[in-house]
Amino acid sequence: MFLSNCCGAGRGFSSIDLDTIDVSNLNRQFLFQKKHVGKSKAQVAKESALQFCPTVNITAYHDSIMNPEYNVEFFRKFMLVMNALDNRAARNHVNRMCLAADIPLIESGSAGYLGQVTVIKKGLTECYECQPKPTQKTFPGCTIRNTPSEPIHCIVWAKYLFNQLFGEEDADQEVSPDTADPEAAWNPEDTATRATASDKDGDIKRVSTKEWARSTGYDPAKLFNKLFKDDIMYLLTMDKLWKTRKAPTPLDWQQLENSARPQEVSAGSGLKDQQVLGVWGLCQLFQRSVETLRSQLQEKGEGAELVWDKDDPPALDFVTAAANLRMHIFSMNMKSPFDVKSMAGNIIPAIATTNAVIAGLIVLEGLKVLSGELESCRTIFLNKCPNLRKKLLIPCVLDPPSASCYVCASQPEVTVKLNVHKTTVLSLQDRILKERFGMVAPDVQIEDGKGTILISSEEGETETNNSKSLADFGIRNGSRLQVDDFLQDYALLVNVLHTEELERDVEFEVVGEAPDKAPPPQSTQEEVKSITNGNKDSAQPSTSFKAPAEDDDIMIVDSGEEEEEEEGASSSTAATSSGSKRKHSDAETGETSTKRLRTDQSSAAAATNDDDNDDDDIIALD
Amino acid sequence: MIDMIEKEDPVISEEEAAQYDRQIRLWGLDAQKRLRGSRVLLAGLGGLGAEVAKNLILAGVKGLTLLDHEQVTEESCRAQFLVPVTAQGQNRAQASLERGQNLNPMVKVHADQDRVEDKPDDFFLQFDAVCLTGCSRDLMVRIDQLCSKHNIKVFCGDVYGYYGYMFCNLGKEHSYVEEKPKMVKPTGNSSDGPEAKKAKIDPNETTMVKKMASFCTLKEALEVDWTTEKAKAGMKRTPVDYFMLHVLLTFRTDKGRDPDPLAFPEDSRLLRKIREDVLETLAVSADLLNDDFISYCFSEMSPVCAVVGGVLGQEVVKALSQRDAPHRNFFFFDGRKGNGVVDYFGPN
Repeated sequence: MFLSNCCGAGRGFSSIDLDTIDVSNLNRQFLFQKKHVGKSKAQVAKESALQFCPTVNITAYHDSIMNPEYNVEFFRKFMLVMNALDNRAARNHVNRMCLAADIPLIESGSAGYLGQVTVIKKGLTECYECQPKPTQKTFPGCTIRNTPSEPIHCIVWAKYLFNQLFGEEDADQEVSPDTADPEAAWNPEDTATRATASDKDGDIKRVSTKEWARSTGYDPAKLFNKLFKDDIMYLLTMDKLWKTRKAPTPLDWQQLENSARPQEVSAGSGLKDQQVLGVWGLCQLFQRSVETLRSQLQEKGEGAELVWDKDDPPALDFVTAAANLRMHIFSMNMKSPFDVKSMAGNIIPAIATTNAVIAGLIVLEGLKVLSGELESCRTIFLNKCPNLRKKLLIPCVLDPPSASCYVCASQPEVTVKLNVHKTTVLSLQDRILKERFGMVAPDVQIEDGKGTILISSEEGETETNNSKSLADFGIRNGSRLQVDDFLQDYALLVNVLHTEELERDVEFEVVGEAPDKAPPPQSTQEEVKSITNGNKDSAQPSTSFKAPAEDDDIMIVDSGEEEEEEEGASSSTAATSSGSKRKHSDAETGETSTKRLRTDQSSAAAATNDDDNDDDDIIALD
Repeated sequence: MIDMIEKEDPVISEEEAAQYDRQIRLWGLDAQKRLRGSRVLLAGLGGLGAEVAKNLILAGVKGLTLLDHEQVTEESCRAQFLVPVTAQGQNRAQASLERGQNLNPMVKVHADQDRVEDKPDDFFLQFDAVCLTGCSRDLMVRIDQLCSKHNIKVFCGDVYGYYGYMFCNLGKEHSYVEEKPKMVKPTGNSSDGPEAKKAKIDPNETTMVKKMASFCTLKEALEVDWTTEKAKAGMKRTPVDYFMLHVLLTFRTDKGRDPDPLAFPEDSRLLRKIREDVLETLAVSADLLNDDFISYCFSEMSPVCAVVGGVLGQEVVKALSQRDAPHRNFFFFDGRKGNGVVDYFGPN
């Protein structure tokens, strides 16, 4: 969209997108038409934009911006970079590239009716990573495996099941009952006993789900009875779990078949997909999808793995069926295929108008940057409803860089708590350095006086280190690791703190961050905020790290702070002190996550707006 | 007219469901059906008009009539992306038709080359909503009066350089729904335990709450009496954009056009004069609105058209679908500051 705005401004530029056009894009991505479905977005966008402005110079790259080909030299060719990304990894990466190349960056996001735009300039403003963004919500293993209480738990379970049966098996995506669930134990000793007992039984732990399924020939009825009868009956034996919870009720394939009634087709006016299915209908859906997926696997040959895709009907049907059957077992209201698709597919609703507003704002900020008027740049939030000061669009002064930012500070440094005996080198690389700290190709040296190289970004060089623990290399409490990502021109010093006391399912903790809290139950705005910052995957809690980026149009919906009143007209609309509304005071508490809370009482109290006492800095969205 | 929709054609086709998927997931199927049954008139295909046209066509209204008697100029091509650069000299509505239609073949897009002022009253009655851009103040007032008598939703909007506004009149009794989270009552038996007994907000269930809003006419909105005590007291919180709008509408009436960059010196002088006169006539302080805006109100800036067109487009969608609280009754955008405010002007 801002491609078309920019053309009016008459400049040359490049656009990069790895994605192709889908029919669901057409309700808002107006540079594309039906005939373009399947083609490269970057390429078609260029062609359409050239229609508006044949004289402008556009280069299109059908590629990922994280490709090392787009190095600092590449970025330096541009006067300005504008992001319209849909995942945090890419945003972090571009943030670093722009810092390295010292090019101004305009960041933005949108979701539904909300959106925001901001400007990032090295040394002048906060970078994208100065403020920790809430990480995507994940659920504890035992909630998924033993005690689901919400439909989303069942959907996550069903997606794990898909991977266990048809895709890449992941040790963190277990679906069988968790015998080591601390809640299940009457006495602490019980937990250990149960764990070993099931090993002896052999059915749960020893044989992988995929192997077992293969041994039955992926027989739907057998799969069904294991997952929805036997495993549930096992859960029932863990009686402590059901003391205060409603116990699950197992299903039996044969019984259901015998008592099956024809599915009522409701005469409702909804989409076909919006109808909730009956239990036998779900059984049939389960059967059909298993059979189809089984053939897909067979066709692909030996050692094949399927990747879950919401746009692949049998894959979605499978998750719909499995999740709903589990919801039924656990006495929850079931969800229609339409809703399951939203939740499982992390679909973020998006419309043309919101994106038009955000695109317009991006261009306006861009024009300021290009005219050298950086001091007039702002962060601007788009709300659904006007706030108490009647603002629908809220400009906020940009914050200066954070001195302790682990990306843009002059000597970035972090401290990480982990267990040096249990954390492997591979885990350090993938979970901590890449996932958590956004590096693409880290090189790690231990500050041990010998410059021991722990991880090399060159393929194959340090692969033998991967399965070893950090302790094996002499890393212990207080050790320091020098980490470099040469593509991002980023050097980070990691201080290691050894601990044996991490929470269950938690592998490491970054010191100085508020622990991940579930957002308080609130208006849509809070929900959207937890989707915040462009993590496509975090529209719902992580259901798969390997799922390809889904919907476009991301949302940094950080509908945060109030702004300065720089009316510029006259004394009758007096300016107010802007500093009072900024959340600098929050920095002391270290509760950085609260900086983004709208309902910040301290800031509201500090607001010395000459206007009203009723100004709570609360933005009512509803 | 909108209420008859559901009897017309309750089924959404697979093609529509696929294309509108991401918006149906936002505003729901009912809203989409109402849009599908709505006919809209859009007058003025300048930069703002093109943005509104694009937004409504993508949203999936039943029909959109593009009404414009003007010809395509070189400047139109810059701020307006529906008109091909080769179309200079053609009628603007006609030139916008092809690209407009291609945005969404499921919408019936028409081009009409007549002047708005020449249209008979009953012309407007075939529409559920009318959106006026580039019209004179008197014309807007007249059409607003006519339409609101017949329960037709009225929208006005313009972009002047970095500035833009939107006005709407949805009638005295505009009803709509809002989606709210549902409170779930405890169902449990005593054997279920304390957890099951608590009432909670079910994050997955929502309910629709019916609401009503009332709007005044454009005439009333523009003819606010600023000499009353109440008006004077509220002055501090009043966006000066409202007065800027008066100045620009007066200019348009006087000159029959908007400020032209090619006539910058004379037009600036005239704007200054009009500013003084307007503030005096309205009996408000001459300090209220200074001359700064004058340098920045020439020409339609395309990003400003995008912002105002986005807000205006969404208001039309909301009104037609009768879902979500409408902005009442003006929206002003200042593109230099990035400020967007909603405020009500009219009798209380």
